[in-house]
Amino acid sequence: MTTEELYQTIGGNYREVLGRFMTEDRVLRFVKKFPADGSFELLKTSLENGVQEEAFRAAHTIKGVAQNLGFTALYEKVVVVTEILRGGSMEVAEYMPELERLYKLTVESILKLN
Amino acid sequence: MAKQKILIVDDSEMNRSILADILGEEFDVIEACDGFEAINTMRSYGVELSLVLLDVVMPRMDGFEVLAMMNNYKWIQDIPVIMISAENSSSYMDRAYELGATDYIQRPFDALVVRRRAINTIMLYSKQKRLIGLVEDQIYEKEKEQSLMINILSHIVEFRNGESGLHVLHIHTMTEILLQNLLKRTDKYQLSLQEISLIATASALHDIGKIGIDDKILNKPGRLTPEEFEQMKNHAAYGAEVLDKMPFYKNEPLVRIAREICRWHHERYDGRGYPDGLKGDEIPISAQVVALADVYDALTSERVYKKAIPHETAIEMILNGECGAFNPVLLGVLKWVADRIQVELRVNSVGEISKQDLNRITKEVVSHEELSVSKRTINLFEREREKYRFIAAMSKEIMFELYADPVTVSFFDESAHKLGVDMIIPNPLEDEKLIACLGKENMIEFGKLIRSATHDDSIVSFECDVKMDGEPRHCRILAMTQYNLNDDTDTYEYVGTVGKIEDITEEYSKMKALEQAATHDSLTGLMNHAHAKSIIQEKLSEQTEKKFLLAVMDMDNFKAINDTYGHIAGDEALKNISAKIKNVLPSDGVAARIGGDEFMIFWECIGDAEASAKKIFRAFKVKFEQDDASLSMGISTSDFSRDYEELFRLADMALYAAKDAGKQRCLFYDESMKGIDLPLRTKCDS
Repeated sequence: MTTEELYQTIGGNYREVLGRFMTEDRVLRFVKKFPADGSFELLKTSLENGVQEEAFRAAHTIKGVAQNLGFTALYEKVVVVTEILRGGSMEVAEYMPELERLYKLTVESILKLN
Repeated sequence: MAKQKILIVDDSEMNRSILADILGEEFDVIEACDGFEAINTMRSYGVELSLVLLDVVMPRMDGFEVLAMMNNYKWIQDIPVIMISAENSSSYMDRAYELGATDYIQRPFDALVVRRRAINTIMLYSKQKRLIGLVEDQIYEKEKEQSLMINILSHIVEFRNGESGLHVLHIHTMTEILLQNLLKRTDKYQLSLQEISLIATASALHDIGKIGIDDKILNKPGRLTPEEFEQMKNHAAYGAEVLDKMPFYKNEPLVRIAREICRWHHERYDGRGYPDGLKGDEIPISAQVVALADVYDALTSERVYKKAIPHETAIEMILNGECGAFNPVLLGVLKWVADRIQVELRVNSVGEISKQDLNRITKEVVSHEELSVSKRTINLFEREREKYRFIAAMSKEIMFELYADPVTVSFFDESAHKLGVDMIIPNPLEDEKLIACLGKENMIEFGKLIRSATHDDSIVSFECDVKMDGEPRHCRILAMTQYNLNDDTDTYEYVGTVGKIEDITEEYSKMKALEQAATHDSLTGLMNHAHAKSIIQEKLSEQTEKKFLLAVMDMDNFKAINDTYGHIAGDEALKNISAKIKNVLPSDGVAARIGGDEFMIFWECIGDAEASAKKIFRAFKVKFEQDDASLSMGISTSDFSRDYEELFRLADMALYAAKDAGKQRCLFYDESMKGIDLPLRTKCDS
């Protein structure tokens, strides 16, 4: 899979990212770092353990990273979760399955990059 | 040239590395993963940092808190901050700007924009710093020239007068010190720092009127006649007149103040001065202060008609009113700063503007906030830090710093490694590695010591076990607490502690060995008599509710063992007995070898005294049947006496009774033994 195909698969905006990051090489390098970021796991465990503040920070980090890398679809989903958590609520269960599906799709697709 | 340093603060490793990647070519990038680390990094790099890129949402300490802290420490004036955040609500941005952020970049950011803004900000700041430097230099030059002119002028007067140029300088310094401290004591006189500086400068002109006084009077070695003195007094009015008649600049503040000083520096608070007989605060404060400084310097200097008077005497004479009446508030200030005046007058050299002066002027010109310091000072400070780091690294000692706010401990690289702790430790009392190394109780104790230290008594010494390279070592922690003087409250505020941890294990174990040797018997390891006695005496007098037993015993046939089997066997027998004693001795009991083959045991009696004694005595029997040796024992109880000597004597009598009754037995002292005549014993108190 090429970088461009990856962005198509996961609903991202490749042109926009390339515009900001200047070189293809840089985009690729940081995209490849994405699977190693533990924020999604942290989000899940802190939700399970009821640690609201930590869950917020984890969601917030994913939001920042997704936005930076131009993972638009993922970004839009995680924004919703972030905002609910920011307000002090933990009622995000209904959004989590879709977020997780998108997250996994993103990670799996990145691993398939040439 | 070395690359400029940029600090990137973001809790996401990914975000940090994207920024580091964008900026890494041009800058030396340092990373911090939260606000806490950021503050500590700033603390160690200081103004070496050219820029901080700061995230908002972070664990432990967020971006706004970092900004607040930077304001607190006044770092924000010297280190520019660009906030980077996905938050785009205007309230976030407002708050960031309010707290002193220079710029705000929104995520997702553009590589080019970040680079450009970082470079612009740094350029702007360094331009500003360069400008500050330029302004500083120019002011320095200008001030120097101005005081140079005034100095030449006033020196002409002094030259004629046969005085050294120091008089003017002394008055300048003293006027300034008095006024600055007057400001701290009362708000009665509305003086700005600038006015104080003007008065100090103008003070140099106080005696210019002497230019109109006849040489013969001015330099007369003896006392002046009343007529001559009347003429001399005219110099005050002359001086004011000279300035009054100036064609230009007459209304310049400096000239105006100089005129006040010239005319009224011989007025006195009670109205008995000249030329106008002004009273109290009718005399401008400028003239009051210069008058006081003039009197002091006249007293402590040598003149054609008198010798110099020592500082202490001069102060006393002034305070006693021997030189005319002065404003009581001013006299209070004089008393308060007398010591400082003496020191300052000694060190100040001619024609130099003091460093403080320069800082103050620069501050006002660039309207930096009050506490900020000039670039020169920062450079000096940086050099000091460098020296300190170098010396710390060279000495191979474990050095540490403790900051009060936020509470943090920091170690140098190798020290942290040796102790197995992190270099920077926030909340030290919660840090597991540090607790494993020092022990929580020791840390709490040390904390108490620090809190009880004061500015005048700031050295703290504490001994405890510390793990180094995983091994427990006995260490001494030597530290000095540090304070900042709060000018408003005039009190010292604790800011932190520096110190070192010294391994004194060897010294300590030597001490311990010496202590052991002085108090114990080398053959058996039991206590010696003197040491046992002091412990027993203490127990008898302090634990009065307890009943104690004291047993004295010796071997029945020690001489025979020695004769038959030799001294080595005799020593073995003694060691055997000692080992037995150690085995049966209750935990807080005392056992000693009191000489030759004689032993003493002392323990608390719980329950039946006889049963307790028998239990112990029986333990020896078993052993000695095998060894073909036997023991006799005499016991006394604290019911008879709580005096050690007496208790010992009674037990000794019981022992002799036991021997008399055929040895190999244990007897308690009772009244029937009263008459026993004890043979003379060797005293073992030595």
